[in-house]
Amino acid sequence: MTKTKSIAALSMAICMMASMAGCANNSGSGSGTAGNEPAATTAAKTENNNAGGEAGNEGGETTAASGDVKEFTAFFAVPGNETNEGNDVQELIASKIGAKCKMTWLTGQTADEAVGVMIAGGQYPDFIDGSTGSQQLIDAGACIAIDQYWDAYPNLKNFWTEEQWNSVRNEDGHIYIIPQFGNRWMYDTETTHNDEAFWIQVRVLEWAGYPKIETLDDYFKVIEDYIAANPTMEDGTPNIGYEILSDDWRYFCLENAPFFLDGYPNDGCVIVDRDTHKAIDYNTTDTAKRYFKKLNEEYQKGIVDPETFTMKYDQYISKLSTGRVCGMVDQHWDFNDAEVSIKSQGLDDCTYVPLGIVIDKGIEEHYHSNPALDVSNGISITTSCKDIDGALKFIDDLLSPEILTLRNWGIEGEDYLVGDDGLFYRTEEMRSKANDQSYINQHLCSYSYFPNYGGMDHDEKNAASPQYQPKEFYDSLSEPVKKCFDAYGVQTYVQFLNKSGENAPWYPMWSYSNNFTSDTPHGLVWATMADVKHEYLPKVVMAPDFEAAWEEYMGVYNQRCDIPVFLNAIDEEIQRRIDVASGN
Amino acid sequence: MEKKESAFGKHSSVTKPGMAKMGIKAPAEVGDGSGNIFSRRTTGDIVFDTINTIVLILFTLVVVYPLINTVAMSFNDGIDALRGGITFFPRAFTWKNYETVLAKQGMKTGAVISVLRTVIGTLTSTLCTALLAYVLSRKNFIFKKPLSMLYVITMYVNGGLIPVFLVYKALGLTNSFWVYILPGMVSAWNMLVLRTYMNGIPESLSESAELDGAGHFTIFFRIILPLSMPVIACVSLFSAVGQWNSWFDAMLYNRMSDNLTTLQYELMKLLSSVTNNNANVETMKNSDNMVTPRTMRAAATVVTALPIVCLYPFLQRYFVAGMTIGGVKE
Amino acid sequence: MAKLAINKKTLKNQKTLILMGIPFAIYAIIFCYVPLFGWIMAFQNYKPKDGMWHSKFVGLGKFERLFSDDTFLKTIRNTFCMGAMNLVFSTIFAILFAILLNEFWTLKGKKIIQTVSYLPHFLSWIIVTGICFDVLSMENGVLNQVLVALHVIPEPINWLAYPKYFWWIVTFAHLWKETGWNSIIYLAAITSINPDLYEAASIDGAGRLSKIWHITLPGLKPTIMILLIMNIGNVLNAGFEVQYLLGNGLVQSVAQTIDIYVLKFGISNGDYSLGTAAGIFKSVVSIALIAIANAGAKAMGEESLF
Repeated sequence: MTKTKSIAALSMAICMMASMAGCANNSGSGSGTAGNEPAATTAAKTENNNAGGEAGNEGGETTAASGDVKEFTAFFAVPGNETNEGNDVQELIASKIGAKCKMTWLTGQTADEAVGVMIAGGQYPDFIDGSTGSQQLIDAGACIAIDQYWDAYPNLKNFWTEEQWNSVRNEDGHIYIIPQFGNRWMYDTETTHNDEAFWIQVRVLEWAGYPKIETLDDYFKVIEDYIAANPTMEDGTPNIGYEILSDDWRYFCLENAPFFLDGYPNDGCVIVDRDTHKAIDYNTTDTAKRYFKKLNEEYQKGIVDPETFTMKYDQYISKLSTGRVCGMVDQHWDFNDAEVSIKSQGLDDCTYVPLGIVIDKGIEEHYHSNPALDVSNGISITTSCKDIDGALKFIDDLLSPEILTLRNWGIEGEDYLVGDDGLFYRTEEMRSKANDQSYINQHLCSYSYFPNYGGMDHDEKNAASPQYQPKEFYDSLSEPVKKCFDAYGVQTYVQFLNKSGENAPWYPMWSYSNNFTSDTPHGLVWATMADVKHEYLPKVVMAPDFEAAWEEYMGVYNQRCDIPVFLNAIDEEIQRRIDVASGN
Repeated sequence: MEKKESAFGKHSSVTKPGMAKMGIKAPAEVGDGSGNIFSRRTTGDIVFDTINTIVLILFTLVVVYPLINTVAMSFNDGIDALRGGITFFPRAFTWKNYETVLAKQGMKTGAVISVLRTVIGTLTSTLCTALLAYVLSRKNFIFKKPLSMLYVITMYVNGGLIPVFLVYKALGLTNSFWVYILPGMVSAWNMLVLRTYMNGIPESLSESAELDGAGHFTIFFRIILPLSMPVIACVSLFSAVGQWNSWFDAMLYNRMSDNLTTLQYELMKLLSSVTNNNANVETMKNSDNMVTPRTMRAAATVVTALPIVCLYPFLQRYFVAGMTIGGVKE
Repeated sequence: MAKLAINKKTLKNQKTLILMGIPFAIYAIIFCYVPLFGWIMAFQNYKPKDGMWHSKFVGLGKFERLFSDDTFLKTIRNTFCMGAMNLVFSTIFAILFAILLNEFWTLKGKKIIQTVSYLPHFLSWIIVTGICFDVLSMENGVLNQVLVALHVIPEPINWLAYPKYFWWIVTFAHLWKETGWNSIIYLAAITSINPDLYEAASIDGAGRLSKIWHITLPGLKPTIMILLIMNIGNVLNAGFEVQYLLGNGLVQSVAQTIDIYVLKFGISNGDYSLGTAAGIFKSVVSIALIAIANAGAKAMGEESLF
């Protein structure tokens, strides 16, 4: 009996060990490569084997089984929308250029984490955009130097100018990433101001007789008067004067207005002095103090929603969506959903227009900027890619005129129609389908994180994509908004603000501060500043005694944050960028 | 000594006679027994029952609200829901959320893999964990303390994302179904719960079996396992729910293997494509679709929870009626 | 129980048990202990590009950095307090609920109530906190409406703006979501209590409460003890999501937990080593806590972990 017992136990043990070993073998052959071959080849191959549904395709190349269409893989370290297998536009593009790409996106991790795991495993897809982890990828040698190959790919090589490419060059002189965004064909066609501004409802302006609103005091005066005269909406819900979103990273709605009020563009982390090229901390300027004092006054008067600092983004959008909120500082993409909801209820006079508010009359505002070249991240081809030329050709082909139109507009006759004048337009049905998530997944494929143009389409008649098409834009405007536009003599939202000038060579500095890590002294200061501001700014605004609260805030701020360390780091980067731009 | 498969597969039928021999009541009889208790009701009982009923019903109402709200949300139009204020009923009824969730590509593969991992994972995990619990519940086992400690510590230490990834990769668990099964095969937490229960089973039962010449496997499969059914049901529920709900492993280890995706991972991808929780300003500006789909999340929650809700009644009888040990006293 | 000497005879007698135990020991070592080589990251300035083997060593630098930061010390307090409150209340409520449910007079009602009660476990925190916001809202939140109607408070309170309420809100949210689920294990344990004991007590004329006190609770004691000891080790793991989702700048000083701190200053800023250092700290504290709790339980002759 004892013997049988021990044999049984032993066999159990062996069983367990075998099942572990077994799975190792199993996956080894199943995925074709794991363990037996250099890690670099794994990703691409695994993909093949899965696509082909076959194991052990040892000599596999990046070409998939179906016809001659190459299938690439990509990972973008940002949340995004996965297209379905057999997506119409994707297949159409594949049939034209002989390649397609399966894109996966960030889910439930930070970009750095996702990239960190990939680097540790040494396994990459063909294309990658590491977002804030881009530099890590380059440092880890995960990306190929694009400039060694690109002569055969003019669309790609000419995507940015020589100077612009220079600003992307790594320290070793090579180019590893292709920034995808902020490029325009011909000229800017933006109709909506997507960025930050003081926003105000159309109905408030209409009630006030479309006044000229320039300063912070003007702005709040109009809102105060409106609330006094119209305490509730038509259905009896109380109007809210002003909302300040301060949820997590979205607290820019609270904290970054001071540099706009002083007439500087959105460098994100600092004011850059235009003459001395030195960084200035906007948190401690007089303007900052005046701005928060004003918010404090408005809070005490009950113009600022008492719940505003405990709201999450969801609550904020809910409140805005009811149309009750007269104004706020925000970036348009951040509350776009709320506007869609407002419109769907037919409350078009509760939609918003942007105002370029400054602290004192006479300061020139810079709320609207040209699209910026963000040099801190972009798409790369990885060392795991087995067909580098094919990958480059893929990017190059995606930039050809016909394909660009397919990516941005969709399929003619299905997603848009062409008028006799050659202008593209969409029917109401097409517009609503283009907003339907499941339709997008099955039908549209913009390859959104591959290089793309804004501005005009390559036919030079139409805008690059529907949202910039003037006619499309006008059709979407409602009566109250048109009236408001007429009163101010503008045709687009952008015209409410000053025309954007050329970007300064250092602009935008946020592309630098976004990549700070807290194991550097300046990175730690940067993280601590955010921590302090998150806690104290709401307190300052709500405090019965503003001066005392401000004093306390400044005390903690200066004690916990070593600002000079932070500013010095920024100064160095400003100088570096100026040098790069001037070709040194 | 039988082979373990047969012992395991047939345990429900083989245990009955074994149990009868040991003097164990079958579940049905116990149900009757508890009925008897309630038939002799005193005034005190009535007062107690009344208060108890009120308390429980109040509690149920408080708890049921989020459920109703979630279901209402799942049937409400997404844009309309942005206004807030949906409580018990959808305001703008639509099937759209469910359509979007169910139309997500990969749902079919995901569902198959999820079911497979839940079934296989739960069976292996429960069996292995119970076996370990059995070993550690033997009073005289000389390595009881070190082995227990070895497992207890695992509950509180963790090498971190990257080291774990590297180990799994070395074991060949990446791009493999087994990454869903092996790492969770023994759960220290469940083991301790099981062991506690097993400790409560009178030693005399195993002792008399041992005298009859039964080995450890016989005692485990024919005595301890059947007697531990309530708590086995409990830990298998925990492990099934864990398996069914997990998606991080699918993302981390099988990101590139479409045929190994799980239902939850597909849902997570869908949700994160439309919500963007950890994003920053620049990411958000560039992303082409930004709705806050509370409604879609609600639909996804309902889709996720439904299978477990359906599974539950099968396990529930073990908790509310239960079987127990009579006759043999220590 | 006499201490067993490890000698040839016992080894031989327990051959089967030992052979059964070996694979489990190997399993734990491979899956749980081998990855602990990652802990060296805490003593490095880990950079993915350099990997585990080439990153620069900084000794105890990361720990010094953590413990010299007042904010971090505050997060320890917050984590510990919320963890402890959660442990105490969720244990009490789960036991209470299990007992009450067990005493419920119809089997059908019992089943329905139980099914409903555990369902919130499946709602994600983001849904539950969304509902918390609705309930706590100043404008039309149920809580404010009820309290104002009952004249408990003169006007609606913005509950989430005051640090003094925050821990209670978090605790209550946990109770709301997990009581039913946590009670499952106690319900299972109640079934192991010998019904003869109840019958004998009934014959002796014991009332319901006295039966609960003298039979049910003692019957549950081993389970309660084990879960308590295990969960004491978890008090420092008490939170990320719910505090993150309910918190805001105004209550940051009480809402920030160790995990949030690590995310804010470590992971989302690419400093993995800091996260690992905090993780090691938590592990050490957890193991110390359970060791103490375990020793205590043993001294009182209760069920213990090892």
